[in-house]
Amino acid sequence: MSLSAVTVRAIAPERFLAGQKLQRIDSTTLLQFRFNAITDLLTNNTPLAFKSYGPGQLVTVAFRGTSANHTAVLWNGININQPNLGQTDFSTVPVAGFDKLAVQYGAGASAIGSDAVGGSILLGSQADWQTRLGVTVGQQVASFRNNQTQLGLRYGSAPGATWQVSGRTYLYRSQLNNDYPYREFRNYFVDQATTAQRGLVQDLYVRHRNGRQLSINAWLTANDLILSPQDTIARERTRTQSSRLLTTYAAGAMTVRLGWIRDLMDYAKSDFTRPDHTETDRFIGRVEREFRLWPGLNGAMINLRTGGEWSHYRTRTDGYGGQLITENRQDVYALLRLQTERWLVSANIRQAFVTRFDPPLTPSLGAEYKLVQRAQTTLTAKASVGRSYRVPTLNERYWVELGDPNLKPESGVNLEGGLSLTSALTPTLNLTADLTAYRNRVDNWVLWNPATDYHVENLQLVVARGGELASTVTYTQSGWQAGLRLGYALTRTSQERAYDSYARDVLGKQLPYVPVHTGTLNAWVQRGRSRLSVQMQTSSRRYITADNTQYFRGVLLTNLLTETQVRVAKAAFRVQGKINNLFDALFISVRRNAMPGRSVAINVLFSLPANHP
Amino acid sequence: MNKHITTGLVASALTLGLWNCKTTDPEPSPYESGVYIANQGNFSQNNGSVTYIPTGSSTAQTNIFVAANPTLTVSGGVQDIADVNGKSLILIDNTAASQDKVEIGEDGSFKSRATLKTPDIENPRRAVYAAPNKAYVSCWDVSGSYSAGTFYKDPGYVAVVDVNAGTVTKKISAVKAAEGMVLVGSEVFVGSASYSGGTALAIINVNTDEVVQKVDMGGEAEPIAVDANGRLWVLVGQTMICYNAGARTVEKRVPLNATPTSMAISRDRRSFYFSTNNRTYRFAITDTSVPGTAVQNRSFSAIGIDPNTGMFYGSQNPVSYAQAGYVIRYQESGALIDSVRAEIAPSRFFFR
Repeated sequence: MSLSAVTVRAIAPERFLAGQKLQRIDSTTLLQFRFNAITDLLTNNTPLAFKSYGPGQLVTVAFRGTSANHTAVLWNGININQPNLGQTDFSTVPVAGFDKLAVQYGAGASAIGSDAVGGSILLGSQADWQTRLGVTVGQQVASFRNNQTQLGLRYGSAPGATWQVSGRTYLYRSQLNNDYPYREFRNYFVDQATTAQRGLVQDLYVRHRNGRQLSINAWLTANDLILSPQDTIARERTRTQSSRLLTTYAAGAMTVRLGWIRDLMDYAKSDFTRPDHTETDRFIGRVEREFRLWPGLNGAMINLRTGGEWSHYRTRTDGYGGQLITENRQDVYALLRLQTERWLVSANIRQAFVTRFDPPLTPSLGAEYKLVQRAQTTLTAKASVGRSYRVPTLNERYWVELGDPNLKPESGVNLEGGLSLTSALTPTLNLTADLTAYRNRVDNWVLWNPATDYHVENLQLVVARGGELASTVTYTQSGWQAGLRLGYALTRTSQERAYDSYARDVLGKQLPYVPVHTGTLNAWVQRGRSRLSVQMQTSSRRYITADNTQYFRGVLLTNLLTETQVRVAKAAFRVQGKINNLFDALFISVRRNAMPGRSVAINVLFSLPANHP
Repeated sequence: MNKHITTGLVASALTLGLWNCKTTDPEPSPYESGVYIANQGNFSQNNGSVTYIPTGSSTAQTNIFVAANPTLTVSGGVQDIADVNGKSLILIDNTAASQDKVEIGEDGSFKSRATLKTPDIENPRRAVYAAPNKAYVSCWDVSGSYSAGTFYKDPGYVAVVDVNAGTVTKKISAVKAAEGMVLVGSEVFVGSASYSGGTALAIINVNTDEVVQKVDMGGEAEPIAVDANGRLWVLVGQTMICYNAGARTVEKRVPLNATPTSMAISRDRRSFYFSTNNRTYRFAITDTSVPGTAVQNRSFSAIGIDPNTGMFYGSQNPVSYAQAGYVIRYQESGALIDSVRAEIAPSRFFFR
């Protein structure tokens, strides 16, 4: 058990949240969704419930029955939730923008900080030290005059030298015209909004043979959404732009990160020349050091990671009165990890300090124990308990009149336990299964309270409890591969505190837009470089009101994919054809419009050399 | 299905055999006599609906238009319900432009006959009977940006609806934010939504479907009802104006001393009920001021008076539009009857 540099540099939630579920999305799946928004990938592979306002429009998440503000989205370890809204619009995050994706379930405050109440989504960049020069060109054409283009370049110096350089430049653009040949689908209107998206990813890594490494990661995105584009009076435009820059220097067990994130948002109706403007900058510094404690200890490895983070926020928002508002946030933390042959234990503690605000201490404790450890089979039991919190969003604290700088932090306690099995049933048949149960209690849940003309208050107490079951079976023999991945989640989440006289209609009722049951199925057959896949996702009814008097019916959505790779000399053409919503199922958006019926998309991804898309 | 048809045929044959000199009676209606409630739903969720409470019942039947027409949807706030020669009009206002509708259904069964859509209908507000088989539907038209002051197109219009054909035959330019309408003789008086900046009443001749005159009322005018003496009462800000529609003269102004949240005329058409932000008052058409004693010590966001029984319906919304509102009912005497859960934001009552 040695401690590699890569391990030390792994971001905290991947290494220090023992006992909690961490789902890594494999590279095949990432490639399969290369021309999709992250939402499509996650709905087909996780139980996360998304609330969509329409194709190409705002999409927010409910992770394990929490609100859109309770999921931390990390990019290379830095929280990139838009700070004014305290959430991420997942329609603006294309899968093409990152190399790695993992989903961390449950509260992660001790390793992440604010927002990680229901869970976290971990996006990452990854250096490719092998490729000297690689080119990628991709194009997708799809129904409704929708299209996308991707251009990528990977480059690097020769391996083995004292200094090595590796880089990636990736450009993407998409234009969703959503030009439906019908105005209504099953008597529901379809919503013709247009979305134009552009992005640039620039990664540069320099490493020395002795292990020191400098990384520069930049991700620039621009999203331009226009509702009712055909009507010059009613049209609405929302433009969001994010610039994210992160520099990481790692030497030995020490990692220093410096980052800058700028989020711009412009909203206009009718006249697009004078939008409401929001501009927020964040400057981030983080220093971490990892120690191996008692290195002489036999059979056990104990690591301690200590760190501190400092963020400076500057926001200028029309809704706050237009003046500059600044604040500082600091975090200090100590993360302890013990690993033996059978045990993995983590014990963490974190304290944040925020200008004009008092965040709680967030400890966590988790453990995993290998109940069965044989050559073919491993069965692990897991359990964890952790505290979480959320710093209210800038809007919640600074919005003129309605915001309240003196809000209390929302605070949660997450308990979970589970079993995880990997087994080679036969030499050709592999099984993994994962069962988790949790209870997450979030108090002081913030609400824009309609009773006080929408002033922001700490009002609610939400208890979410449920479980997840995920299982994958793969079969490989003589050039054939087949697989089946099933997921099921039970999510019961409800408001439990009465704070007004009509609360009896709401208490204990399922929170809106969170289905109690969700399921996913992915099945595929592959021969050589050709694969046929079926993706299915289903959810039970989604209540749309707090008293559960109205709901959208349960739905089953099916996609069919076929893909193949053609090799021409050293190059490869990967061709994918996809039928979305194969059975023309009716799926309704938040604004009560139908999502489109069956549609097709075809994409080609050229890569040279073949093995580096 | 087949069994259903067979049973139907047998039943029809028997009926014809027994009463072969009579035409068949219409299907018994599930919605004979009672109150229809227009629910506006929550803003941007477009989840309005029509609730029905049968006479003598204290249980609401929810979303009855969809119950009667399972393949259709109400995607918007229901702004108003009206009845014109046996046809029900349901005004549905969606938050997005060009997704508004007026559903025309059979009275009693609510089965859809026709649907009016864009560009005939944009932001429908109220519907009234204008003449035989002719309804007027006031529309704001497409709305722009509130902050830029272009929210209300000027002027809004009144759509002339042939309820038999299920078509809009004409759009009459009326006033800015065209909303409240009352028929007096052969003229419909059209006012503007509150805070819209429109200050005129447009007077439309229902025979020619032309605006014959516009009268400046000095503020946003909402025509409320015609009283027992044939006078039109118009709410302008905090004042009720008693208007002689024939002579085009103001006869009296009754100060309310508050901006009402809702207003309705009594069964005998000799008094008005209105709510302020915490009380409900009643004044007679002969009064020159509002009596100081409230009839109810609470406020209602909408008031409806059953013209047959005089029963008072007041709607109360929970603080959140994410849950259903209630309708509280009182005897004409003011005695509390009950409270019935309707749907999200009950805002207009229609009695049948």
